[in-house]
Amino acid sequence: MAVFKDTEYLYEVLGGFWKTLSEKNEFSSAIKEADVQIKFEITDPSAIIWVGPNGVEFGEQEIKADVTMQLAGDVCHAFWKKDLSLPVALALRKIKSRGNIAKVMKLLPVLKPAYVLYPEYMKKHGL
Amino acid sequence: MAYDFLDLHVADQISLSDEHVALKKAVRKFATEVVRPASIELDKMSAEDMAQKDSPYWTVMRKAHELGYHTIFIPEEYGGLGLDPLGIHIFFEEMAAASIGIAVACGVDVFPTFFANMIMAEYPQLEDILIKPYVADKDCSMLGCWAITEPEHGSDILTPYQSHFHNPKISHQLMGKKDGDDWILNGQKAAWVSNGTTATMSLLFFGTDASMGLAGGGIAIADLNVPGVSRGKPLEKIGQRDLPQGEIYFDDVRVPKERIFCLSDSYEQMTDLVLGAANAHMAIMCVGGARAAFEETLTYSKERIQGGKPLCEHQDVQRRLAEMFISIEASRQLSRNVLNYNLWNFPPNTTYSMCSKIFCSRVAFDVAQNAVQIFGGNGLTKEYAIEKIFRDITSTRIEDGSNESLTLAVGHDILHGEIPYGI
Repeated sequence: MAVFKDTEYLYEVLGGFWKTLSEKNEFSSAIKEADVQIKFEITDPSAIIWVGPNGVEFGEQEIKADVTMQLAGDVCHAFWKKDLSLPVALALRKIKSRGNIAKVMKLLPVLKPAYVLYPEYMKKHGL
Repeated sequence: MAYDFLDLHVADQISLSDEHVALKKAVRKFATEVVRPASIELDKMSAEDMAQKDSPYWTVMRKAHELGYHTIFIPEEYGGLGLDPLGIHIFFEEMAAASIGIAVACGVDVFPTFFANMIMAEYPQLEDILIKPYVADKDCSMLGCWAITEPEHGSDILTPYQSHFHNPKISHQLMGKKDGDDWILNGQKAAWVSNGTTATMSLLFFGTDASMGLAGGGIAIADLNVPGVSRGKPLEKIGQRDLPQGEIYFDDVRVPKERIFCLSDSYEQMTDLVLGAANAHMAIMCVGGARAAFEETLTYSKERIQGGKPLCEHQDVQRRLAEMFISIEASRQLSRNVLNYNLWNFPPNTTYSMCSKIFCSRVAFDVAQNAVQIFGGNGLTKEYAIEKIFRDITSTRIEDGSNESLTLAVGHDILHGEIPYGI
């Protein structure tokens, strides 16, 4: 059974996590500086999350993505829990990406605290 | 009946920015003034002398580190140059136009830290252990290599998804055994390991489970300055003599968990990714080498008088020069597009990387052959750089997978691979 039971729940939990992150100064200034718009095309359940300089949006939007990442909801969860290494996920095609990945690499240093934050955040949601 | 294909232009428009132009100018200056003279000197030396600490190889590599050229794949946030795909193509084409061997040495130097960078989210300690000191390195005290081939394994170990890759009768000669969270390695790598005699660290491929055949493997970012690692004699060879190559032996060498990049659950796929990256880059080396052969020939054809006029005034020489020019331009476009696509799309499309390497090395060999014909007897002597360029280019048809094996792998992908090759 999928970790996120339906789209609404995924937006609430995973979307909420991204919103929490984007409200943090360190992350919001880094994504503004990197000027990168990331589109997550999520399957099972089906969802779209946009993360960019203007914050976090859900669903289809009139925005041009610099990087598009396609992955399942469970893969998102495993990635943030550090149960899945990014290169292995890419190699096994659990994550597919298109676009300027170098721009995303710029965000990696500021994502470090997010790894710590995620388990606590999931705990609050009973996951 | 029609087949679908990758729209290689989809990733980005190919155009040179002011930064690209400046990069090309800077790398060309380094390549022309430092790399080419050193490579000619190294070509005349024995492999043993070439690997010595006072040889021009070290002068070039140290200078490359001083200029920060060892950090082209490392993001700016970590202190690297973090070049985009087009910048990377420009860098390696300019370097290879001066010397394919030294360009390859610079390419494999980056391998261990480039891959370490990808697992830093899991093992943040690698930033302090590897990335920071490597980026700060100016005297080449940290140097990388890519160790995959073994005495009994060449192209076969580079071509996953084929039936031989799962044959339990064919296994790695460097084997690892798990010891707690660490791995203990025993065995050896082939004499063809580029920078094998000089590197301090390696992107190292090893076996983990012989019953799985070559697919039962792992990749480590190995420290080569640890007990149990020893080196073989530097390899004497026909071309790319300015690239030090030699065996590496492992005798109970311990590799800690944080230096394990992947294990057998993703080894085959990861090998495919590495092959995709390596072939895409080898193609660029071929473009640079072909360009060098063309430039030498163009200059020579304007100076050399035969039949009362410069060679370039002879119609057949003009035709040959035109054919060389056309094929080099075509190979540059293919290799740029494949690199651009594959560095901006994950997982990359390895089939296109193989196509690019096969095509560009064929072009380079054809151009070099024509160049020697135009030089005539002079092309056969060591008086002219074209003799060395021809020998250097010869190796590219075997390096990083023989063209024959890679072509078979492309054929396999066309028939049995994923879309976009399907009907």
